[in-house]
Amino acid sequence: MTGPLTGVETVFRRELATVVRTPGYGVLAVGLLAAVGGLLAAGGGGATGFVPAIVDLLLPTEALVPLAAVVLGYRSLLADGASGELAVIRTYPVRVGEYVAGVLLARTVALVGVVGAPYAAVGVGVWLTAAPDTGIFATHTGIDSPLLYLRFLAFVLLLGAAYVSLAAAVSALAANRRSAIALGVLALVAGVLGGDLLLLRSLGAGASPATIPGSLALTPNGAFRGLVFEHVIGVAFAPEGEFIATGRAVGSLVGWTLLGAVVAGTALAYGSQVDAAIERVRSGIGD
Amino acid sequence: MPDEPVSTLSDVTRTYGGVPVLDSISLAIDPGVTAVIGPNGSGKSTLLRLLVGATEPTTGEVRHPGATGPKPIGYLPQRVPFRDGFTARETLAFYARLVGGDPDAALEQVGLADAGDRRVEALSGGMRRLLGIAQAVLGDPTLVALDEPASGLDPGMRERAFRAAAERADRDTAVVVSSHALDLVDDHADRVVLLRRGGVAVAGPLDRLLDDHAVDDVSGLYRAVTAAEERTGAGRSDEEGGNGDGDAESDEEERDGGDTKPDVHVTGVSER
Repeated sequence: MTGPLTGVETVFRRELATVVRTPGYGVLAVGLLAAVGGLLAAGGGGATGFVPAIVDLLLPTEALVPLAAVVLGYRSLLADGASGELAVIRTYPVRVGEYVAGVLLARTVALVGVVGAPYAAVGVGVWLTAAPDTGIFATHTGIDSPLLYLRFLAFVLLLGAAYVSLAAAVSALAANRRSAIALGVLALVAGVLGGDLLLLRSLGAGASPATIPGSLALTPNGAFRGLVFEHVIGVAFAPEGEFIATGRAVGSLVGWTLLGAVVAGTALAYGSQVDAAIERVRSGIGD
Repeated sequence: MPDEPVSTLSDVTRTYGGVPVLDSISLAIDPGVTAVIGPNGSGKSTLLRLLVGATEPTTGEVRHPGATGPKPIGYLPQRVPFRDGFTARETLAFYARLVGGDPDAALEQVGLADAGDRRVEALSGGMRRLLGIAQAVLGDPTLVALDEPASGLDPGMRERAFRAAAERADRDTAVVVSSHALDLVDDHADRVVLLRRGGVAVAGPLDRLLDDHAVDDVSGLYRAVTAAEERTGAGRSDEEGGNGDGDAESDEEERDGGDTKPDVHVTGVSER
């Protein structure tokens, strides 16, 4: 009758339809396009080529993409829990893992539209307007190329996916919308600034600079930045970059994404048991 | 179906903030219509949430020995929770897909065939409840728990909602309904559980309870039991079921988003 894929697919379709029918996400995409386009126009890099454009966008992207991803994800799992619909859904043959997977996949696809589309549009704009010619598909270092921008876009989506997943975890842990916003902001600040501050602190405490490529890869923003330097900016300007351990950085971004999903699933699966255990302690009935 | 009950609650207690909302409840849910009645805050919604697994008991055990099938339990919460922006048909289609059901047949069953293309937020309160009932019975669950299916509805819609629920009950299926609409309980219930102050004041087949208390209807039963308990002080259980030691109170309806209909007298709340 039904299988795990049916559950994931059914939840996915419903979640995607919800995103598509929520005008706020369209506004978010337009706002992001305006912000990214504006930053590029102000920086001037877009008029020169893809790599200069990426250099202009790199720092703002580390804040804008996590912000957009958190906005996409912070209520994703809270909505059904707060309305009471999750209790209804759980009477159906859908496991928590399938439910979380369906929601997260839909929100990640939404990320491609809300974040990927504006960045892609800006990339197309650079292609059409930049001088000198940026239409060369470079396979060698030292040449600007749309392929470098595509790599940048892929890293942007990996970064966004990690934050969507972490925001979904926040939404599963939050008791209500207000606490979801508070936790989401906390996760955002910790993600965007926390990793760098910890890295600086460890260097200040005497850690060797040789550890930077490895340490940088541990946080989502550090991993993203390192990958962009290593495989986008470094390709054009440096002979052999050693900004970051590539496998570790990709693994870090994928790991943060999986961590968010696991935390979200665990919170939904065991939240009521934890609540009951707390009540046992409170009422002095339990051991 | 063998004689075993569809569901059982064994010595179940549920507390919130350390205060018991339900206290040492033991019940067996058999096929047929079981109505859970009682004053606001007596624990009706919590009992149904425990029954369907939406809330874990603080202590005790809830089992479903007779609930079978791919979707053994159907549930309609007190506040119908469907997402805005979807039509009634789309809402049911989501659930129907999970159990291989037919959303149009489900809409037809509750008399909402003509409202399938209306968005959930554009439905009246009664129609939303009917949609909730249609959802709860999708997949032919053996246990159907409906929290206040007639709440806030006009007389015709109340009857329709209750009848739609009661029609599900047969020799294999148990329908548990919490309600303040005692006239509808009279018309449709096979068994009654009267909760009071977190305990079971009386429970059993409706006819037997009416005979035992020498009353004509559920309203009379309700008055007789609550008056007897008020005379004897804090609620003590009678011989029918549960312990009902009832010194616990709650704001359960508020906690569960209640909009209960004031068909019955709301008794005072005692301090623990």
